Amino acid sequence: MLIIQTKSLFLFHLYISQLWLLFFNTMNPSNGNGSMSTASSSGAWDGRDQFPAGLRVLVVDDDPTCLMIFEKMLKACLYQVTKCNKAETALSVLREHKNEFDIVISDVHMPDMDGFELLKHITSEMDLPVILISADARKQVVMEGVTYGACDYLIKPVRIETLKNIWQHVVRKKARNTV
Amino acid sequence: MEVGQMQRRLVDYTKSLFMEGFLDAQFLQLQQLQDESNPDFVVEVVSLFFDDSEKLLNDLTMALDQPSVDFKKVDAHVHQLKGSSSSIGAQRVKNACIAFRSFCEEQNIDATLRCLQQVKQEYYLVKNKLETMLRLEQQIVAAGGSIPMIELGF
Repeated sequence: MLIIQTKSLFLFHLYISQLWLLFFNTMNPSNGNGSMSTASSSGAWDGRDQFPAGLRVLVVDDDPTCLMIFEKMLKACLYQVTKCNKAETALSVLREHKNEFDIVISDVHMPDMDGFELLKHITSEMDLPVILISADARKQVVMEGVTYGACDYLIKPVRIETLKNIWQHVVRKKARNTV
Repeated sequence: MEVGQMQRRLVDYTKSLFMEGFLDAQFLQLQQLQDESNPDFVVEVVSLFFDDSEKLLNDLTMALDQPSVDFKKVDAHVHQLKGSSSSIGAQRVKNACIAFRSFCEEQNIDATLRCLQQVKQEYYLVKNKLETMLRLEQQIVAAGGSIPMIELGF
């Protein structure tokens, strides 16, 4: 049996969370908007009350269909989304805009630089949690990803419910860093 | 045809696509993402999938037509098609890709050529079905009606 959340219920929840966000935005006008991250110069979480709304996500996938779907899903989660279709571009964006992202989501199999290489660069140069995504569910590939430091490895197709929980990786990393 | 009739026709047609395995639950995720701020999301993403898939199928045809087939390249294309078809909810295309990949691993040229035909067939089938479905939706909207959300429980 297939159980589907009705569109009206989904929209209702989205509407309520948007209302909540609007309420806090009027109370705390310092939070930024838009798809390119120019949020807070301090790089830290300003609006803790709105969290995880406004989570600054960089998503990387060379497949345009998947990239479009991810962007829509992440925006529906009320995250601030920046998308890239190349790992090299993603790396330059991250280097130029340090502290302006909270989490990176990257596809594994990409031409030129792949997700593993991107992951290695990010873990050595920055302190950002990286989630890998792939249609490849083979254990050795997943193992490699996790061993190299991916905080999670998701198998396509990814559901929006999964993306709603990614903020946990950000919190977990910050908590570990402060210990 | 009046709007109510068109809506019923659309619901029946859409349900049949799920029953026959052309679409799976992932497609419902896409429909749920569509809202007033982005009322053409499904059409846009499906069109993107069509354009991208046709490129991939052409690349696959060329790659398998080489005197010495680069199976790694073939596998990479199939992998990408598997990813995008699964993200769209095109279940039969995705399943055809899964079979295709196992033959790529074996480097079996005859089997991979057969798989390519199979994937193409499934792709054109689902393309046709989706275009019909989206056309029905357009007709309903043009007649002033709204797209009914389908509820599946089977």
